[in-house]
Amino acid sequence: MSVSDMAPILDVRQVKKSYRMGKVLVPALSGVSFDVQEGEFLTIFGPSGSGKSTLLHLLGGLDRPDEGEILVDGANILKLNDSNLAELRLNKIGFVFQFFNLLPRLTALGNVELPLTIAGVSDGETIDRAKEMLKLVGLETRENHRPYELSGGEQQRVAIARAFITNPKIILADEPTGNLDTKTGLEIVQLMKKLNKEKGQTFIVVTHDPRIAEQADRTIYLKDGLIEDIKEAETARGTMR
Amino acid sequence: MRVSKILGMALENLKQRKLRTSLTTLGVVIGITSIIGLASLGEGFRIEIRDRMQQGFELNNLTIIPGSLFAGLSRQRFTDDDVQTISKISGVETVTQVMQIGNMTLYNGNRSVQAFVATAVNFTEFIQIFSDRFIFESSMPLATYKNDTITIGYKVNHPSENDTRPFAVANDSIVSTLAIPYLEPIPHVEMQNYTFAVGGTLQQKGTPGITNFDYWVFIPLETAREIYKTVESDLIFVRVHDPEKSEEIAKDIEKLFPPFRITILVPLTFIKQVDNILNIVQLFLIAIASISLLVAGIGIMNIMTVSVMERTREIGILKAIGATSRTVLTMFLAEAMLVGLIGGLIGIFTGYGVSYGLAYALSRFIHPQQDTTFQNPAQPQRLTITPAFAPEWTIAAFAFAIIICIIFGLYPARKASKLNPVEALRYE
Repeated sequence: MSVSDMAPILDVRQVKKSYRMGKVLVPALSGVSFDVQEGEFLTIFGPSGSGKSTLLHLLGGLDRPDEGEILVDGANILKLNDSNLAELRLNKIGFVFQFFNLLPRLTALGNVELPLTIAGVSDGETIDRAKEMLKLVGLETRENHRPYELSGGEQQRVAIARAFITNPKIILADEPTGNLDTKTGLEIVQLMKKLNKEKGQTFIVVTHDPRIAEQADRTIYLKDGLIEDIKEAETARGTMR
Repeated sequence: MRVSKILGMALENLKQRKLRTSLTTLGVVIGITSIIGLASLGEGFRIEIRDRMQQGFELNNLTIIPGSLFAGLSRQRFTDDDVQTISKISGVETVTQVMQIGNMTLYNGNRSVQAFVATAVNFTEFIQIFSDRFIFESSMPLATYKNDTITIGYKVNHPSENDTRPFAVANDSIVSTLAIPYLEPIPHVEMQNYTFAVGGTLQQKGTPGITNFDYWVFIPLETAREIYKTVESDLIFVRVHDPEKSEEIAKDIEKLFPPFRITILVPLTFIKQVDNILNIVQLFLIAIASISLLVAGIGIMNIMTVSVMERTREIGILKAIGATSRTVLTMFLAEAMLVGLIGGLIGIFTGYGVSYGLAYALSRFIHPQQDTTFQNPAQPQRLTITPAFAPEWTIAAFAFAIIICIIFGLYPARKASKLNPVEALRYE
């Protein structure tokens, strides 16, 4: 069985989403369909206001579409209640944000531990796994530093470690290099590529940085809430509907 | 998420905002301090008053007087039959009747004194009933009492504070002048002299209840019956075995007589009523103190609402990485609960301290009047209030603190838990 015959890890069908800005309804996504295979490194590329972040939030179960369906590892997020959605985010999805979104009062280790703490995993196991994750992103010497004592690149590494700790099937990254200088941004992209290769997790990265798009197996170009184009690298594994 | 972790995180969050947490907790501390302080002082005050009243009342003794205050047109006096019937009631130890003679003048040689209350009693029964107060200063053996024996109260025997000599001692022979009423030929009163042998003089015992024997003289009932040519008496005293049953026995006695024929003074009823009033006063004080805890609760709600706004992004992050609304709710409620817990604990200790301080101040500066009988000048006596800490009050106050904090924390915590993660993450 070839990779493309397998059930997709993410299946997006005719998804629409609008936001209310005062009295006006602003469409963010106007019917988007695509799927993502397990282990794929996908980028969603587009200018500001193209609906990239909205799409990512929907894929991560942070929000629900107005129309259409999103299946995450077979589960239709429209049919999940808030609590099940939280469970999905906890177990199957890892988020990486542009502004890192670390809790300032926790140390690097504490931030990485957080998802396991929420999951109710024992202290011993939580600490061991968090240390292992920090080592994986090359921050084993910085575990007791608080976010404000770390550089932007280091903070993003902590965020990646936090996203990885529950061993989720999908990592969703929203402009992960948007707040970093070019060199650090490149390092972060390389780290994510490395983890994608070594750990086999699916990566969906929202970006408007063409250098990240270059690294992807496939890039979806969004414009005005619609898919404008899908470009595949030589090793592409996904298909467009 | 494990409870221990939620509590640990809540504590960590509170520690991050030390000043804010301290001020919020202070509200709870003040609330609990007032509740504990007022409750324990009130309880101490109540115990002090009850003790004083119990000393002042002979709880075993019931006093039966003929007629009633408002329906007393026919004040029919008591007979031997009445005494007999009452003595048969279960729980009754001794019953005795007393005839009131009015005042009499006593002469011993060239000295004379005025007794304001002269009573005719059965000495054996009377001493059984008032064993605590009928204590002799000087006396002949009770067995040698005859029908001309008189017993003299302390203030009658020591009429002047300047003169330490008693008016009489046991075995003295004294003369008393009594006013004897005659109906025939026309109603009139004749003063007649009778000679008595002093059977005993009494020690000073003050004013327990309504009868102060210090001003009384006692002659045998049989003698008075002969002098006044009557077999009726004015008062009946009943001693019961168990003071707790005195109200029940009083009801049994009342049933023996027609309505309004008698009035029974039951010390226990009076004490219970005063106790009830003090209870109400105490509850009222605690209710006022509780208001300060409510104010503290509103403070918590206020601070937590601000805190939720400040931590909107943090809530968004927690939700994005998998925290359920319930987890967020519990985290904020845990913070509110911890404020109640810490404030409550500190409040219990400061409450104890404040109540001891106030009790000391009250005991030191308040001198209640007492013993205000007409010939007896009031002696200043200190009010000694010892705060009484009922464990159930302490536990209730502590639980109240936590409950108030949780209730007032509920609104901001719910607000936090209901935040939309996407909007929360966008919050600047």
